Amino acid sequence: MVAGGQQDALLAQMRRGTLQYCVLALLAEEERYGFDLVRALAEADGMVTSEGTIYPLLSRLRRDGLVESTWQESPFGPPRRYYRLTDAGRAALEGFKREWDRFRDAVDHFVERKAK
Amino acid sequence: MNTTADHLVDDYLKRLRKELAGLPRERRRELEQEISEHIAEARAMLAAENEAEIRTLLDRIGEPADIAAEARERFGVQRKRSGALEVVALVLLLIGGVVIPVVGWLVGVVLLWVSEAWSARDKLIGTLVVPGGLLLPLSLALFAGSSEACVETRAGTDCTGGGTSVLPFALFVVLLVAPLATTVYLARRMRRGAPMLTT
Repeated sequence: MVAGGQQDALLAQMRRGTLQYCVLALLAEEERYGFDLVRALAEADGMVTSEGTIYPLLSRLRRDGLVESTWQESPFGPPRRYYRLTDAGRAALEGFKREWDRFRDAVDHFVERKAK
Repeated sequence: MNTTADHLVDDYLKRLRKELAGLPRERRRELEQEISEHIAEARAMLAAENEAEIRTLLDRIGEPADIAAEARERFGVQRKRSGALEVVALVLLLIGGVVIPVVGWLVGVVLLWVSEAWSARDKLIGTLVVPGGLLLPLSLALFAGSSEACVETRAGTDCTGGGTSVLPFALFVVLLVAPLATTVYLARRMRRGAPMLTT
């Protein structure tokens, strides 16, 4: 039996580790501006606890060259910073998807077996 | 115009700025900008802007301390308690000029400005209050001591008496207390989050 606190910590770590790929996946479909991206992630249940913590991640992804940003005029106010995937970001996402499929299948194989 | 809302947002951004203090400048600026834009966008979407709505909005964004912690982790910046550099800087600023006249204090100034534990304003205070640290007041004390000796040995002649030494004495006290006060001030203002890049 895993203690509650330990389990929370594990889930937090899993979220942390996978959040950046969720960001990349969201940007794979279309470019988005920061607010829109953050709201989309925050609305997914259990993904992020606070919207503000996504911005450091975006900043890091930009520094690592996985996403790039451009300023675009907005009809509603000041220009917005739009994020989009770079080639390196796309490659990182593809790589993660393959590993994730394998990993998820392997875990499901054991965890879901009893349920069937 | 909604001043309560503006006040809440300003207060939040101020706290955020303070919490992000240990991060590299351009990262800090970027985060501050993005989050203040986020707040502006979120506010624009509110049906009615009242205190409760603004508080809810800021709660969703999260505690500035949490955002800063996340940023430090993402950028591999570690929170470090008072560094050796900062302690040496403070000691040299205070007594460096006494041990090695002038030069010791100058080294202290260099360390003060090299350190990222203080803001530019604090560094300016550390440099200007008082140049030389305790060198000046101690020199004055020495000077005053010799003039006092002069009074004793040649009492009644040209040497200055007690009446005229009130002003120099007040100056002496100020010069003595000011560097000590600055040291205490800088020690208290020292950021616990002095950046140390690990990646």
